[in-house]
Amino acid sequence: MPISHEFDYKKVVTVSEAVDLKAKYGSNAKILAGGTDLIVLIKEDVLKPEFLIDIKGINELKQITFTENKLKIGANVTFSEIHESSQIKEKAYILWEAAGTVASVGVRNSATLVGNICTAVPSLDSAPALLVHDTIVHLKSNKGERTIPIEQWFTGSKKTAINPDEMVVAVTLNLPEKKSASCYKKLGRYKGEDLAQAGVGVLITENKQYRVAFCAVGPIPTRAYKIENILNGNQLSDELISKAQNLVEQEISPITDIRSSKEYRTEMVKVMLERALKDANSILSGKNVSLNPIL
Amino acid sequence: MKKEYTTIGKPEIRVDGREKVSGAALYTEDIEYGPDLLYAEIVESPYAHALIKNIDTSEAEKYPEVLTVVTGKDFPYRFGLYMKDRFIFAQDRVRFIGEQVAAVVARSPQVAKRAAKLVKVEYEELPKVLNEMDALKDDAYIIHEDLENYTHVPWFFPKPKTNVAHWRKTRRGDVRKGFEEADYVLEDSYYVPRYVHCAIEYHAAVAKYDKGGRLTVWASSQSPHTQRHLFAEALAPLGIRHNDVRVIAPHVGGGFGSKAGVTMEIMAAAIATKVQGHTVKLMWSREREFYNTYQRLGVTSKLKIGVKNDGRITAIDHQLFWDAGAYVEYGANVVNAVGLSAIGPYKVDNVSIDSVCVYTNLPPGGAYRGFGYSEFLFGLESHMTRIAKHLGIDEIEIRKINGIKEGDLTAYGAKMNPNGLHESIEEVKKAIEWDKEYKPSDENKVIGRGFSLLWKAPAMPPNASSSCFLKFNEDASINILVSGMDIGQGYLTVMAQIASEILSVPVSKIRTENPDTDRNPYEWQTVASHVSWSCGNAVRLAAIDARNQIFDLIVRTKYLPKDSLYLEDEKVKSTQNPNFELALKNFVIDGIMMGDGTFKGGPILGRGVFMPEFSSTKADPDTSQGGHPNVHYTVGAGAVILEVDKQTGKIKILKVAEAIDAGQVLNASLAKGQVAGGLLQGLATVLYEDIRYDKNGKLLNPNFTDYKIPTAKDIPDEIISILVEVPQPDGPFGARGIGEQTMLPAAPMVANAVEDALGVRIKSMPVTAEKVLLEYLKKK
Amino acid sequence: MQKISIKLNGEVRYVYVEPNEVLLDVLRDKLGAKSPKSGCERGDCGACAVLLNGKSVRSCLILAIEVDGQEIDTLEGLSQGGLTPLQESFIRHNSFQCGFCAPGMTISATELLKNNPHPTRDEIKEAIAGNLCRCTGYESIIEAIEEISKK
Repeated sequence: MPISHEFDYKKVVTVSEAVDLKAKYGSNAKILAGGTDLIVLIKEDVLKPEFLIDIKGINELKQITFTENKLKIGANVTFSEIHESSQIKEKAYILWEAAGTVASVGVRNSATLVGNICTAVPSLDSAPALLVHDTIVHLKSNKGERTIPIEQWFTGSKKTAINPDEMVVAVTLNLPEKKSASCYKKLGRYKGEDLAQAGVGVLITENKQYRVAFCAVGPIPTRAYKIENILNGNQLSDELISKAQNLVEQEISPITDIRSSKEYRTEMVKVMLERALKDANSILSGKNVSLNPIL
Repeated sequence: MKKEYTTIGKPEIRVDGREKVSGAALYTEDIEYGPDLLYAEIVESPYAHALIKNIDTSEAEKYPEVLTVVTGKDFPYRFGLYMKDRFIFAQDRVRFIGEQVAAVVARSPQVAKRAAKLVKVEYEELPKVLNEMDALKDDAYIIHEDLENYTHVPWFFPKPKTNVAHWRKTRRGDVRKGFEEADYVLEDSYYVPRYVHCAIEYHAAVAKYDKGGRLTVWASSQSPHTQRHLFAEALAPLGIRHNDVRVIAPHVGGGFGSKAGVTMEIMAAAIATKVQGHTVKLMWSREREFYNTYQRLGVTSKLKIGVKNDGRITAIDHQLFWDAGAYVEYGANVVNAVGLSAIGPYKVDNVSIDSVCVYTNLPPGGAYRGFGYSEFLFGLESHMTRIAKHLGIDEIEIRKINGIKEGDLTAYGAKMNPNGLHESIEEVKKAIEWDKEYKPSDENKVIGRGFSLLWKAPAMPPNASSSCFLKFNEDASINILVSGMDIGQGYLTVMAQIASEILSVPVSKIRTENPDTDRNPYEWQTVASHVSWSCGNAVRLAAIDARNQIFDLIVRTKYLPKDSLYLEDEKVKSTQNPNFELALKNFVIDGIMMGDGTFKGGPILGRGVFMPEFSSTKADPDTSQGGHPNVHYTVGAGAVILEVDKQTGKIKILKVAEAIDAGQVLNASLAKGQVAGGLLQGLATVLYEDIRYDKNGKLLNPNFTDYKIPTAKDIPDEIISILVEVPQPDGPFGARGIGEQTMLPAAPMVANAVEDALGVRIKSMPVTAEKVLLEYLKKK
Repeated sequence: MQKISIKLNGEVRYVYVEPNEVLLDVLRDKLGAKSPKSGCERGDCGACAVLLNGKSVRSCLILAIEVDGQEIDTLEGLSQGGLTPLQESFIRHNSFQCGFCAPGMTISATELLKNNPHPTRDEIKEAIAGNLCRCTGYESIIEAIEEISKK
């Protein structure tokens, strides 16, 4: 299918080149990394940019860096690279696991984590992992740089807090100091490639601190603070999980669309929450659990 | 003793395997058409039902590199396969969202796309009818006012001034009496929505009308000759005759019925006449493939079955109301086929079937693998299991009690052909270990088992025919010229095997290739699971013809008796004289030299034609009795063991067994491929595929993102394929077709298994996890 | 128009492209590589899969201009020296029916076997999960790859 819309293109090799172009064109220039979202939108005439800034040549954005209790992932890191990293599997399991549920191998080889949060569809798989890790988003413009906590990053369905002259250069996950376990549960229509109709991410630390996050069940992905509050400090039990499940309806606002109904989504979030908590808890206590993120 | 053949029945390697695996196989859009190739982009209707008040093409025509813009005014010609109710481009009105209104032809795809947006169409909306039951109401808006003027095949019965394009009535015996005699009567409704074929290659058509008056169309097609016929018929007013039209059908990337008949191809053919001398490609897309080719018809069915306490059926009353779409030129025959067969593979004395083809303002329905049988079997086989459970009879037992046997009467009063239905039932029951206690994998899961019978006959006109030319080459290799299409099923391979078996030339020395209607003789269509049988017979006859020519030549040159001659290892041999052998390559082109230096014979050219001369649609229009519209039925059975997660409704298929009576398996590997592929496609319709329209009649999920066809991660854990062989007396080596039948039991056996597992009966498709769980929670 | 160079199947090729030309279309219409196919235009079906610097990608979602100076391998390139053992296995198992998914499927399977010469059945399924096939039910394809994985 040909693209009838015409635009200019430049492959840049430094961040400053990129942000200079962003300063010049604002939101008429789009950052092109993997392109797995962007090119579809251009083909369907949803987006009509004047300029595409190809950032794949900026080497510094390719990095996965572990420093003390932090994991920094550059804008050019693909989901395949995340899913092939044994370090990420060990230290931020939920991100490793979620990365493996995105589309298929051929898409993951191009699609980037940063691109995923910039497109910001409500069903994005990376969000629960980033939310439970108190992730920071790093932005640059030709005026300077700033950071935004991930909880403030998503402002609406397909909307973020980015300014027209900015680009995201990296995200930094905070890794818990204490021993912890995490996992991601995704509701799809089958085992094969699908957008999440509901997503649940859970992180439990050995001192009984809980992080719970959802995607695809509201216009933006969110942490579930009410659920975290009743869980924090307590040993997991069937009764406690039941209490958490009872709060689900207060934490999510799913819709009915062609993919799923809000009744089913709500019911499944409760089931996924239970399974995620139990699985993470089992890993934490050293049990060998065979994890399957796709419901 | 079952006969052992040299190649028939063996798991031979496909003749087109190397081509497809190496990337050498060329599909329609892979052919190089040269720098003069133009691109056509169509303008589509945004309304489901509207009058076209005005089309302003002026701006589009002025756009640089646009050659022309065409509209319905350029082609006021009707076309259609079984009924002529369609135009090439909409005339005075549009009847579904996406219907083609105009086309822009330009030098590049980008220009065509941009200029198409400049065509301005003024519409006046009309009331739209978006489901079959609304369309049947007395005050429903009539979608085809001209219905009584449409020409159609004599076995269709349209009801003018209504939205009923065809009503097939079958009546035998006395259903009223039958229900009175019954100990138990179950009456209920079932609903099956539309489905989409989703061949991975979407439609493609390129056409050229050259200055010599020759119209060539390259198309991804299941039916090159039928396409040629429809193009020639429709474009006859332009002075085009059948022999001016040439359809070349390269490799086809899947059909499943979508590429049968004619849909978008006729636009390419027509547009080409407006840019004479240029080659023009009609641009298509996956989206358009979803809403502007054919879809599988939707149906609301009302089924009433009466039984005795011992399980014997006393009467069946099956009413089916089909959402056939805006144009039913093909879909009406789906309705017809079901109207003749909707009692299923059962012996029933009291039969009433009403199969009603209803116009709606939705995309045209047409041929889809199964041709209406998947749709009615969902209700029928669900119903039979429910009845069995009510009576306390095993659901397999009730099928055995009622299963049709050779010689029993079909719904329309003809005799059932030899068939392995009962053998299939036994084999499936054994293979699935029906009485075994399967254990669920954890406490959240439950096991369910389900069973279904299947049957289907080819739905085709009584004069659907096949033909074959077979020619030897100097080295005794063979070229077979046929016009069936290998749409993946392996047809080319099987034709070569049939010729090979008769002529003793190995399959590796036989080429059967994709047709060109100029060179290859007539084939009606590659549909209906009938080409192995029909064209197989034509190839067999052509091979026998060639063999006769060979033997006759040997008789008059070597003076051996004809009945002593046979072919083996590419040589003619004689039982009378064990020392005699003459290699075919010595004479199949050159002839045989005599003592006096003259040559006798010459090129051996076989010719075979097959038409089922016993088939007839002449029957009572109110009861369908008296005809022989279906050449034979292929039967079988299927069973499934599945596991349902009680918390999520998710279904996991643990094991499926399916038995099909192929008569004589022609190629064991290809037959197994049909079972695996057909079953998965059937399971996809019941588990995953979920078509959604909005209240305006717009298709909401015309893509693979939201219309889910299975991936490699979604296949059953185990598929057991069983090929039963009760020969079809008039089939080549006893063979009959199986391609569609493999899909048929999937939906009802899953619905039956879900009820077995959870006690929840789902009467509408698809049976998704969401539907199952929400029903289960309601029940709890 | 910009002149770009692509190392296609081992050979350096030069081609003029506009920024909005899709790699799949340029490969097929300007560079003569017909094996990658258009199936959905959105990256959902895998029929357009090619190897970019050794990794399988969706050529329908890449602009040709993005791969200037890089290496692309299509099915035509894989079998330059004769059919690969994987391809011979596909033939032996009658893995494909209509054949339209074969190029993309072969690209995905080739990438898998390069990175993981002895994959499990589940790993095979994951590798080809992005290649939709409507004909075969996948079993014959998986069997052929499994045969190679055992060597």
